[in-house]
Amino acid sequence: MTMVLAICVAVTFAVSIYLMLGRELKGVAMGVFLLGHAANLSIIAMSGSPVQTDAQQQTAEHAGVHLTSVDSPEMKDPPILTNQYANEQPLAQMVDPLPQALILTAIVIGFGVMAFLLTLLVVTNRKARTIEVSDLAEEAREA
Amino acid sequence: MTDHRIILLCVIPLVASLVSIALINRRAWSRLVGVLSFTMMLGLAFSLVLKITDAPEEQSVLVSQMGGWTAPFGISIIFDSLSGLLICAAAAVGLGAYIHSFSILDPRTERRYYHPLMQMLMFGVNLSFMTGDLFNLFVAFEIMLMASYALLVIGTSLKQLRQAYKYILLNVLASTIFLMGAGMVYGMFGTLNIADLARIIAEIEADPTRQLPAGFNALAVMFLLVFGLKGAFFPLWFWLPDTYYTIPISIAGLFGGLLTKVGVYTVARLFPLIFSSNGDMMTNSAGQWVGGTSSVIMIILAVAAAFTMFLAVLGAVSQHNVRKILAVHVISQVGYMVFGIAVMSGHALAGCAFYMVQHMVVKCALFLCCGVMEKHAGTDDLDSLGGLLKRDWPLAVLFFIAAMSLVGLPPLSGFFGKMVIIREGFAEDLWILGVIGLVTGALTLLSMLKIWSYGYWNPDKAPTVSQPQAVKSSCRSAYAGIVMLVGFALFLGFGAEAVYKVANRAGEQLENPKTYITAVLGEGAYEQVDVLIAARTVEPEEQVAESIAAPQVSTEETGPEDEQAASELPQDLAKRLIVENPPYTVSIPLGKHGSIIAEQAVSTQGALWPMPWITQTDTGWEVIEE
Repeated sequence: MTMVLAICVAVTFAVSIYLMLGRELKGVAMGVFLLGHAANLSIIAMSGSPVQTDAQQQTAEHAGVHLTSVDSPEMKDPPILTNQYANEQPLAQMVDPLPQALILTAIVIGFGVMAFLLTLLVVTNRKARTIEVSDLAEEAREA
Repeated sequence: MTDHRIILLCVIPLVASLVSIALINRRAWSRLVGVLSFTMMLGLAFSLVLKITDAPEEQSVLVSQMGGWTAPFGISIIFDSLSGLLICAAAAVGLGAYIHSFSILDPRTERRYYHPLMQMLMFGVNLSFMTGDLFNLFVAFEIMLMASYALLVIGTSLKQLRQAYKYILLNVLASTIFLMGAGMVYGMFGTLNIADLARIIAEIEADPTRQLPAGFNALAVMFLLVFGLKGAFFPLWFWLPDTYYTIPISIAGLFGGLLTKVGVYTVARLFPLIFSSNGDMMTNSAGQWVGGTSSVIMIILAVAAAFTMFLAVLGAVSQHNVRKILAVHVISQVGYMVFGIAVMSGHALAGCAFYMVQHMVVKCALFLCCGVMEKHAGTDDLDSLGGLLKRDWPLAVLFFIAAMSLVGLPPLSGFFGKMVIIREGFAEDLWILGVIGLVTGALTLLSMLKIWSYGYWNPDKAPTVSQPQAVKSSCRSAYAGIVMLVGFALFLGFGAEAVYKVANRAGEQLENPKTYITAVLGEGAYEQVDVLIAARTVEPEEQVAESIAAPQVSTEETGPEDEQAASELPQDLAKRLIVENPPYTVSIPLGKHGSIIAEQAVSTQGALWPMPWITQTDTGWEVIEE
């Protein structure tokens, strides 16, 4: 699972950097957007495996916790507390919720940056009548 | 110590920002709100700094846990000496630049949410100075950056738009890396709280059986990349000169003073505490425990400091526009701060803190002077400037004081910062950096004199767009801003001792994280580290004790030769000289070889041991036998 995520992160980074190196600012903006996604994916990849280790499974069996919401018994539960966990130790069977909170915040911030960047593109297009990097650079040289 | 007032430093600009959005079409009111907010921040920060400076060690770090959630789980806001100094300086610089902008900014630009954006910028800056949490730092950076993006393109001239992309894209890239780094920190240590991280690292360092996770150095380099980009270290500075060239000069002054320093601050905060660690335990010259410093990070920091100082000042000398000279100088001065961090001793970090404060104030003052110069001549090209000394001598005086402070001429403020940093560099075997620092200082003087002689001393060759009197009357608030900042700079120079009192405490706290960790995580958070250190230091202490006690067992310890000599002594001659000096009792056998042994005892103990029985003569040592 972690491997799959790692490959996803790598591919997303590659695509976003390819886009950011392009000659058109629209592509660059899309690259910025993808870059944020790549970072978020990498946080998920780093936040621990969604699969229980043997020791965790044994603890779970020992505690007599029965998983309800997951298809296969070795996958961890989503981090939602239900009554069945009230008096038991759910941590081993739960996915760590904090990275998800981080990602949620990061997505919102990325959204704001994206909105700003797109607005900037519109304004630039209105002022310069182009959003090609080379054209903008040429104008800069003439000026 | 808990003190919830510190959160006001973030709340004030936030509220002011919202209020001035509502007052967007009432210029006078929004200005009033802005000035009030800056003044309140300055006053509050100053009073808090005064409070913690005289407080005992346990009360020297103010902490506020948001919502009452305890430290590693909630959001901690922390106000210690370093944050306090920088927030004071930030508020002063903000106030100066803000007042200055009243006479510089186009009224139409001002209506484009200039006032709310300034307050938002201050909100982000204050939060990044005070936050105790890595992820929160990321959020604070983003708040600050969003405001700075918007201020960068305020007025939306084409020139600004073109440069803005460079700045925005680089910062987005840096933020992404920061975010990944924060995720990696969480993956490695399971916490994002800076104090908690520092505690974990300290425990790992103190515990010989544990090691730092693999890839920790890579993580540190990632963070260095991020903060280096924000702080414009070598080789990540290229975005800075062009960006500062295009924006309205008051905003350029604020950016030049504030934004790079936030990057430097985070390095100064995080690296001595956390990321420069190599997982080993080391003590400093005063015998206090400090973490072992990773040689990789040390080298990167030292090289970055050297190149940042030297190459940037060469860039500044080669420029021919006032703004560009000043902008490139921002980078060069950042080099001194990185130098202070690279040395990583308490005094050097104190010097770094002092230098950051003085640089913020002085650099902003210089930019603001440049704004009035532009008003006079209509340009900042040195070729068409001139005669400003005759036209506007008060400006010339202010500029001269600020420029000489930047150069570091005693008794002005720059001198004290540079002196401490360079002295520490020489003391800690980084003399190459020290020499580069001195050369850079000389070149700084050269480039400042360039502005001075072209702009102020040269015969007036500017067919000016405006009459001196007209400029003077239209720039009243600009002068007020400059006078305030120059006054502050003079205070930093003449009151350097008082400021260093705060800065030294900041340096101590950075070098030895115990106070910080205990203040944030509560009493006993550091105990584990202390226990581990004690367990580790028992062994060497015993060795020391043995070597001190060596004379006690007399000749047996001092080598086979003396042992033999002692055994040859007739019993009646083997009297013992007993020296009692708690906690050690030394008995020295006397006799034929007694004087030799006594000499050894004296030279081992030196002046520590008053031994009235032993006197030094021309031929050697003489033992007075009773």
